[in-house]
Amino acid sequence: MTQTYEPARPIWCAGCGHFGVQGAIQHAMAAANLELHETLVLAGIGCSGTVQNNIGAYGYHAMHGRVMPTAIGAALANPELTVIAVGGDGDGYAIGGGHLMHSMKRNPNLLHVVMNNGVYGLTKGQDSPTREAPRAAPEEEPLDAMMLGLSIPGSTFLARAITTRSDQLHDLMVQGLRHVQSGRGMAFVEVLSPCVTYNDTYPDWMNRIHDVDTDPDYRNDDRGLAFSRTLELLGESRMPVGLIYQGAHRTLQQALVSKVAPAQSLGEEHAVAARSYMDRVLSSYAI
Amino acid sequence: MSQDGHNVGFELQPSALSPVTRDDMTLMVAGQGGDGSLTIIGLLSNVLLGRGYHVYRTSNIASRIKGGHAAAFMRASTVPRSHLGDLIDLVIAFDAEAVHKACDRLAEGCVVIFDSSRGTLPPGLVPDSALLVPIPFSRLAVRDLRRDLFKNSLGFGLTGRILGLPDAEVEQCLRKRFSKLTEEQILPNILALRAGQGFAERAGLSGDRSIYSMPAQERAEERIFISGNHATAFGFMAAGGRFFAGYPITPATSVMDWLGRHFPAVGGISMQAEDELAAINMAIGASLAGVRAMTASSGPGIALMQESIGHAGSAEIPLVIVDCQRAGPSTGMPTKPEQSDINMLTRGGNGDYPHIVLAPGNPSECFEYAALATNVSQLAQCPVIIALDAICHDSFTVSRFDLDKVEVNPGKRLTAEQVESMESYRRYELTEDGISPWAIPGTPQGMNLVTGNERNEWGRVSTEPAVRVAMMDKRARKLKSVKEHLPAACEWGDTQSRIGLLATGILQGVITEALGRLESEGLAFHCHRPRTLWPLPQETVEFVNAHDYVYVVEQNSGAQLAGLLKSEGANAGRIRNILKYDGLQFTAHELVAAILKQERLR
Repeated sequence: MTQTYEPARPIWCAGCGHFGVQGAIQHAMAAANLELHETLVLAGIGCSGTVQNNIGAYGYHAMHGRVMPTAIGAALANPELTVIAVGGDGDGYAIGGGHLMHSMKRNPNLLHVVMNNGVYGLTKGQDSPTREAPRAAPEEEPLDAMMLGLSIPGSTFLARAITTRSDQLHDLMVQGLRHVQSGRGMAFVEVLSPCVTYNDTYPDWMNRIHDVDTDPDYRNDDRGLAFSRTLELLGESRMPVGLIYQGAHRTLQQALVSKVAPAQSLGEEHAVAARSYMDRVLSSYAI
Repeated sequence: MSQDGHNVGFELQPSALSPVTRDDMTLMVAGQGGDGSLTIIGLLSNVLLGRGYHVYRTSNIASRIKGGHAAAFMRASTVPRSHLGDLIDLVIAFDAEAVHKACDRLAEGCVVIFDSSRGTLPPGLVPDSALLVPIPFSRLAVRDLRRDLFKNSLGFGLTGRILGLPDAEVEQCLRKRFSKLTEEQILPNILALRAGQGFAERAGLSGDRSIYSMPAQERAEERIFISGNHATAFGFMAAGGRFFAGYPITPATSVMDWLGRHFPAVGGISMQAEDELAAINMAIGASLAGVRAMTASSGPGIALMQESIGHAGSAEIPLVIVDCQRAGPSTGMPTKPEQSDINMLTRGGNGDYPHIVLAPGNPSECFEYAALATNVSQLAQCPVIIALDAICHDSFTVSRFDLDKVEVNPGKRLTAEQVESMESYRRYELTEDGISPWAIPGTPQGMNLVTGNERNEWGRVSTEPAVRVAMMDKRARKLKSVKEHLPAACEWGDTQSRIGLLATGILQGVITEALGRLESEGLAFHCHRPRTLWPLPQETVEFVNAHDYVYVVEQNSGAQLAGLLKSEGANAGRIRNILKYDGLQFTAHELVAAILKQERLR
């Protein structure tokens, strides 16, 4: 065996929710029999942006906020690769917020995991877009990524878990990865992952969750019903967890007219075809 | 179609007509956007290309034409030119405003064809020596053919006769242009064309009786007619580029459009991203996964991409970035050319990181350097920027590209077998040439960490002082290692002259034309054009220091190229600036005047 890098030990504080998220990702990879070399884990900047160091797969440390476009580029470039894009709520919903909605709109085949703790941990405790009653602007309501996802027609898999309920977290991560691997598009799993140091929401969130998976009246296959029920729950100050919505929509890979052929793996036949096409293109400029 | 009763006051004196043979003509067609100025210029350039002329074509460059006004220009000449003539020899104006805009650039004895449908021209607007041809294109087209748009074909027919172009070639060109239409749809255009020719006929223009004569030219080599953007996109594709992501921006959009059109046939993907940040990071993602990737934008978009360019430099990810420079700052003048991103492209970004900036000066170099950039970005595993100026949207005749000369060099890419045979694999292995072997995701046993943080050889984040210094030095070494692949400067003019002329990009052509005129003033210059802007070649610095003084000609107000030369060791006292930043391209006349002015001050 060729010796490669030794996975790092997590840098997170004792009690951080992120340990559980990493565990769930690794569990889902194992459940899907994914080889480490077939997997690319991309993560942004922040406490969450170190998870790629700990897994042993191909890892990429994306620019702050840009994990989604980078992951889309990689997923398009090599459809054989399982692409897992990870970020935090600051990375994913603040600096990278613009990319999230466009990613869901495109529905690329990749797993997107956001570790939501409502706070910027690495820079020591500033408010993130999901912070409830932010200190600087207490009147602002937090963003809810499930509501955002439900409002975008291309979204096909929206789930929220909380790290304290590891069975459900593992199950949703497995389902998400299965969604991706069966070519249905982007699976978006937000994990409520409290920050024990700067925003310890464990007791509060645990008291407010509402498990839609066990709610017989909840319909996760109907966007409109899922939307109205989620909105209702938020209005009651509840935090819906479980599979919020799963549907079908054309994926980005299906929408593209061509499949990419990496230059180095261009077969003889392909190279000849490309050459004869290029000759024709050149002739179209001839005088 | 009525052949009579067009009382439009166009009177030639056929007896006095003897065609003037021209080897160099500058033409302008202008009117409101949608009048079809581009269509007519396109048709005329096709006829003249077919006759063996070199053609330079540009649009949207007349800064003085604002609002809804659009203008297209071309220059047809027997020697290759990459700029317009000093003055305009023939104008087709769809309204009085167009004549107003053109009037101070009209050549003595020029022809002004004017659409008189909406009234006559104020007296004194065109020189007395000009031949004014008022013709109610629009009215005739609507009256006889029921559609205003046929006025283009009408104008084309008339202009063909003025230029002495054979009717058959003119009609063939029109048919080729509309070849996708049915015969029924083409017919009104043909009728309009003949109406234009009939109009000329009645004014005495026929066969060998024309105002100008542009005889067919011998053509030695196989030529193509192409814009810088198309040539750049083509070069990337030819060198195995298979992923592009961009965001619409003038004047870079045609790169994205071109690849979007051609990539499906060769297995490439062209993405329109939600913004420039997404565009460049999609390209980075594709490149990370092993596909040759490129993005293109213009100044404002490149400014947004700066962090990502630095990131690719740090994380050692190959990437090609095309900057179609336009007049800044900020939104500036989106349709006007400039060379004002030199500071940003050479010095932009936070921290020190390896990157390369190439500056092609004609479509052949655009093609060649795009292919080179694609390969060198792989060799050096770093961003390579292609800095285009007005060349991006201008088209001109060049020799047919040689696809056989394009190589696909994988650099230090590792195969699965190579990785398997290694004892250990470190993504950022310290090597003598600074370039580390590269295993792409998907390769068994090649797992690695890629990051823009400082890291050790394994890709693990590290701030150890010794590691930091070793990694910075390793990345810096890469540029030295690939330097031999980068284009050398080109030199021309009088090698004995003690006076230098230095410029970059598209300006070589206008300088060459100016040289001939300066020679007749008794002045000779040694000219130098760096084609790699970063790292700036030592020969360029030496060129400045080896001459008594050097005129540095550039299209920006901050003397950015001169600043680059000075910072890299050129003697500031030897540099004289010639700057242009009004949004227009230099004409040879302007350049000569600017140089003579400084020479006389000495």
